[in-house]
Amino acid sequence: MEPKRDLLKGSSGYLLLSLLEQQAMYGYQIVKELEVRSQGYFRFKEGTLYPALHRLEKSGLINGTWEVLPNGRQRRYYHITARGQAKLAEEKTQWLDFFTAVKLILQPESKGI
Amino acid sequence: MTLNLTQYLESIRSDARLDHSDETVIMSELEAHIEDSLQELIGSGLTKEEATKTCLAQMGSTKSIARQIYEAYSQGSWKQVLLASMPHFLFGLLFVLNWWQYPTWVSIVLVLILATTAYGWFHGKPAWVFPWLGYTLLPVLVVGLMLLYLPRGWSFLVLPVYFPLALWWLIRIVIMTTRRDWLFSSLMLLPLPIIIGWLLAISASGRFSEESLQRLYYFAPWIGLSFMGLALTIAVFIRLRQRWLRVSLLAASSLFTLSLVVYHSTGALINLVFPGLLIIMWGGLLVPLLLERRLKNK
Repeated sequence: MEPKRDLLKGSSGYLLLSLLEQQAMYGYQIVKELEVRSQGYFRFKEGTLYPALHRLEKSGLINGTWEVLPNGRQRRYYHITARGQAKLAEEKTQWLDFFTAVKLILQPESKGI
Repeated sequence: MTLNLTQYLESIRSDARLDHSDETVIMSELEAHIEDSLQELIGSGLTKEEATKTCLAQMGSTKSIARQIYEAYSQGSWKQVLLASMPHFLFGLLFVLNWWQYPTWVSIVLVLILATTAYGWFHGKPAWVFPWLGYTLLPVLVVGLMLLYLPRGWSFLVLPVYFPLALWWLIRIVIMTTRRDWLFSSLMLLPLPIIIGWLLAISASGRFSEESLQRLYYFAPWIGLSFMGLALTIAVFIRLRQRWLRVSLLAASSLFTLSLVVYHSTGALINLVFPGLLIIMWGGLLVPLLLERRLKNK
């Protein structure tokens, strides 16, 4: 199956919010984390991550802050905001309902996830 | 950072057309990402050249990234919508309410236009300033028309000096705006063909008489309506994210407004004037695009 290539469209916001809910992360770390946790399914063009992150930031769902590393390099860490957490909870419910409904159709014998 | 990477980042920066502050943040982030990626790839045993090639392939095409960045940042807030459409709205109001005949109202609008433009120009040139900037070109046109009324002989002396100077100033403003984004130049120039169209409808020679004043009274509501149409266009323009939609909107709006001008001045749309003016108008909207390509190639 062709993996998801474009992080700007579709459900990318939900995935990014889910990752940032657990800890603040910087761009490169998010790419690696998504790849590892999806077992390689979410491999996409890495440059498209930043428009997606900035779109979430402009919507007030996440907040980016620069942090200076001991070696002098700078990284921009993204934190989920209260508004982002509310949005994530709402989307999580919708996704879980959707998965349950799809599973009931694909595997009629199962009673849920 | 190698030349390839520098060119890669420069290509994104140039095509994303961001405000300076946003540009600094996103370009620093992309640079930091590339450094992390290179470090890991070189650590895995690749040579610097191989790592650079792999890193750029993983990042994706500059055009695609720049387009997505543009779309993430291009949509203006409702405050920006209000600010950007305000000059067209005010100008339209002058004619709809027939305030154009009162020097006080005209002066207030002109001072407001000049002051707002100066404020926006010296505060980061946000998208909303460009519609205002278009109207600051108007006094230049008005002064040019007033020079036609100088005593006989003087016009012939002054006009050959004034018009090249005015044209030089206009080109300079257009170049400065185009360096930011050619679409902003088109946005700025949008009202000019409409103003010139109405001026020609009122007086084809550019000289004003009692008869042209009567025509101005007659046309005033339609002139106002054409500027209200521009205000609506700009409001939608600021809210749109996609660039192709913005270009289509400007083309459609100029078609509508030009139809209004030609229909009310000639009484018909099917004549030779309309397609001629339309080609000039669309050409005028696209001139900044050609200028931008020329500036980039330099």
